[in-house]
Amino acid sequence: MAEMDPGTLITIITIVVSGIGMVLGAIAPAIAEGRAVEKALESIARQPDSAGDLRTTLLIAMALLESTAIYVLLVILILLFANPLLDRFF
Amino acid sequence: MNDIFPEVAFRLLGIPVRNTVVNTWIVMALLTGLAALIGRRMPTGLEMLVDFLDDLLSELLERRADPFLPLLGSLAIFIASANIIGVVPYLEPPTGDVNTPIALAVIVFFSVHYYGIREMGLFDYLRSLASPVFLLPLEIISQVSRTISLAVRLFGNILSAEIIVAVLFALAPLFVPLPLQGFSIFTGLLQAYIFTALAAVYIAAGLEQPFETEQENTDSPTN
Repeated sequence: MAEMDPGTLITIITIVVSGIGMVLGAIAPAIAEGRAVEKALESIARQPDSAGDLRTTLLIAMALLESTAIYVLLVILILLFANPLLDRFF
Repeated sequence: MNDIFPEVAFRLLGIPVRNTVVNTWIVMALLTGLAALIGRRMPTGLEMLVDFLDDLLSELLERRADPFLPLLGSLAIFIASANIIGVVPYLEPPTGDVNTPIALAVIVFFSVHYYGIREMGLFDYLRSLASPVFLLPLEIISQVSRTISLAVRLFGNILSAEIIVAVLFALAPLFVPLPLQGFSIFTGLLQAYIFTALAAVYIAAGLEQPFETEQENTDSPTN
């Protein structure tokens, strides 16, 4: 470990952080989307007439919720494929 | 892994042209050709498509969708076909390059203000942006951030689908990625719908009268 050059160290840290970050970044939106769908389904079961309105709103809300996971994915893609820190060493 | 990311296909007068741009041209040519062909052979098909988009958009905008149909309808059709074209071998979806979604989102950003100014006039529109003046910075931040999120959402979804298919293809070629390829068609259509729906919602929000003028309108008997 003592002889490791900084580029390798940054690569290792990046890979580990990418895995952990994607897992954590996927958990939160998944829970949020599950809750949204749960409530929407409950409302549809209670008032089947409102299904049309709910579907539109639900899709848009899901897109907004999912964008948090997409942001995490984007950061991780930048870290993995276009890491700005690695350019200092190579 | 480098196959996923856009490469420079050729240089036009010294300007590098990426292969996603070439794919955009392919999508445009396909759409134009298909529209001409279907328009000649069975015009009712095109009418059905326009009717479908009109119903969808007027439901989202909560008003007549006629003035917005050219912009939002072409956005929907273009994004849907651009997402689906990634299924064809050797073609990458143009929306998987970050520049295409950003360009589309910038178009939406400017059209929100264009339609808002056309509806209310320049002064009233600017006043509606700063209806309580201290909320103006928040309004500006939200305008910019939602444009960025609109672009990044489309880009991230399409690129992540591409990456998943590419990784599975590297692990177990030919048949294992097929279900996910089908799922990426579904995601592409859904993202086209969501992009259009959010653009419609943003445009409808830009058209809304501020609270005070709404009350003035209801007070006056002519309106």
